[in-house]
Amino acid sequence: MAQHRFARNLAGSLAILATLGGIAYGLPAVDRALPSDRPVTAGEPYSVGGGVTVVPPPHSMIDVTKTRPGSDRGTALFVLDSVRYVIVVVPFAGTLDQAAARLRRKITGSTGYQVAGNERPVTTAQGVVGRQGAYAAPGRAGRYAVFVTDGLAVEVTVSGSGTRFDSAIASVRSIAVRRAS
Amino acid sequence: MTTVGVRPASPSARPAKSLRLPAFWLVLVLLGMGAWRIFAIVRDSFGLYPRATAVALGLFGLYAVPFWIFVERLDYLEREPPLLLATAFAWGGLVATSTAIPGNAAVHNLLAKLVSPEFTAAWGSAIAGPTIEELLKTLGIVAIVLIARAQVNSVLDGVVYGALVGLGFQVVENIVYAVNAVAIVGNGDRVGPVVSTFFLRGFLAGLWSHTLFSALAGAGVAYVVVRTDKPLWIRLVVAGGALGGAWLCHFVWNSPLLADGLGGGGFGLLAALLVKGIPPLAMILVMVRAARHREADYYVGQLVALGDPQVATEGELKALSTGHMRAAARRYAHGRAGIRGRTAVRRLQRAQARLAVELSRLGSTADLRAPPLERWYREALVQRYRLVAMGHAEAVVPAHRYSVLRAWLAGAGVVTLVVAAIWLGIRALGGG
Repeated sequence: MAQHRFARNLAGSLAILATLGGIAYGLPAVDRALPSDRPVTAGEPYSVGGGVTVVPPPHSMIDVTKTRPGSDRGTALFVLDSVRYVIVVVPFAGTLDQAAARLRRKITGSTGYQVAGNERPVTTAQGVVGRQGAYAAPGRAGRYAVFVTDGLAVEVTVSGSGTRFDSAIASVRSIAVRRAS
Repeated sequence: MTTVGVRPASPSARPAKSLRLPAFWLVLVLLGMGAWRIFAIVRDSFGLYPRATAVALGLFGLYAVPFWIFVERLDYLEREPPLLLATAFAWGGLVATSTAIPGNAAVHNLLAKLVSPEFTAAWGSAIAGPTIEELLKTLGIVAIVLIARAQVNSVLDGVVYGALVGLGFQVVENIVYAVNAVAIVGNGDRVGPVVSTFFLRGFLAGLWSHTLFSALAGAGVAYVVVRTDKPLWIRLVVAGGALGGAWLCHFVWNSPLLADGLGGGGFGLLAALLVKGIPPLAMILVMVRAARHREADYYVGQLVALGDPQVATEGELKALSTGHMRAAARRYAHGRAGIRGRTAVRRLQRAQARLAVELSRLGSTADLRAPPLERWYREALVQRYRLVAMGHAEAVVPAHRYSVLRAWLAGAGVVTLVVAAIWLGIRALGGG
């Protein structure tokens, strides 16, 4: 009887362990086994979220696991070979100075990341004025830009190098906001 | 003996026996691993935002106290061992949360890959949260059963353990959310995002959150353990239904339905919160009430079978059944015999409850001078002697219906306070 009870307890314990292992390690393994990049239509505006769109650079892919378009906010991660092009849209009630300071803090909050040089103004094709600057990280360089419009902050970071990097930087000017009618 | 859904512990049940069970050691290891992972998260947060992290720990730590007291007192008659209650809380706060982090992320990613990022942004939390978290929390209740099956004597016990697993999860998850909010806002070590998270997740979502969902799942697990008079398949269907109910409540709460409120402004948001939150809250409270009455009938029946008016009179047995009647009896004693009268009634009620539990284990024909019974039998007689000396011989409620009216008024007051707190929370967060 005691042996039977022990065996049942052991079976129950193993079932708990197996379920925990399945959730903690099995599901992430299945996730990793599936590709996360999807092609985006070249030359067409891509909706980031919060009414913000961008025309992605040619040959770019979207990482669907890091892309979350929402009605009042959103995130998009474009991958161009080794270049990572991230756009984050969040509701924001502050000034451009405050938004720029906030983005700099986020960048320098990562270990080894430093903002390099001074910021310069940047204007999108739609006429939204923002700021852009550069940062350095271990093994890679990057640029950032920030815009504030219609109660939103649009934060852009591009890291990597080469011609793909330049095309991503050029794409920043295509960022547009669909104005509320 | 199993009667009307109460399965008293065997007289031979001993806590030390758990040490021989694989489940005990498994839970110990899992708690250690979970503690290590959660400690690492909190340590990193302290490094970046020491003030905000300390405030988050303090606020949500205090927030847990009234919930804990309420849940623990749900089962007045047959109290659960504090160590098991702490284990349930720790499972929710350490094992379930630390396992849910990679699990939830994987489900979100899989939805984005298999469906679309748009679908995941809208429905990801509604699908991943309930699916992963309800399962992980329910495993904690199953683990409690495997460690100390003898302590799960009624559906109400499952509710208590489930609620504490859920409370542990709710508290630790809220702390993680609060420090994440500080990072997302990006204004440095400020406590503003922590306070906003406290209002949002503590007040607006706190009543119909993990504590409630897991209480329902816990009732299902306990049903399997206790209702051995039913065929196994029926018990499994009931447990599956309870887990499904917890999943559904969680799904509805996390879903984007009514996310913008019913109509405009703060009233619309308040109405949407109540529409999504009140039905599961009411349903589970009704279930808890039924489980409490069922358990109370059983234990009071033990004292009735004893048939000793020195231990409990007919009026006292009626008062012992429910929390508001016990409280009314203590207030009545206070009115007639002061604080000493109240204390004596409180001790008498406790002795009656403990004696009833011991009688359920040993049988009503057991020798009252035997060690497990003798302590509480003597205590009941001592308190009876004191009450008689004070001129208030019985721990009963007044003959009129004042206490019932008072209970209804108190209930209405609590509901009004809750709605007012939610309304203030919405206003404070700029929704009004």
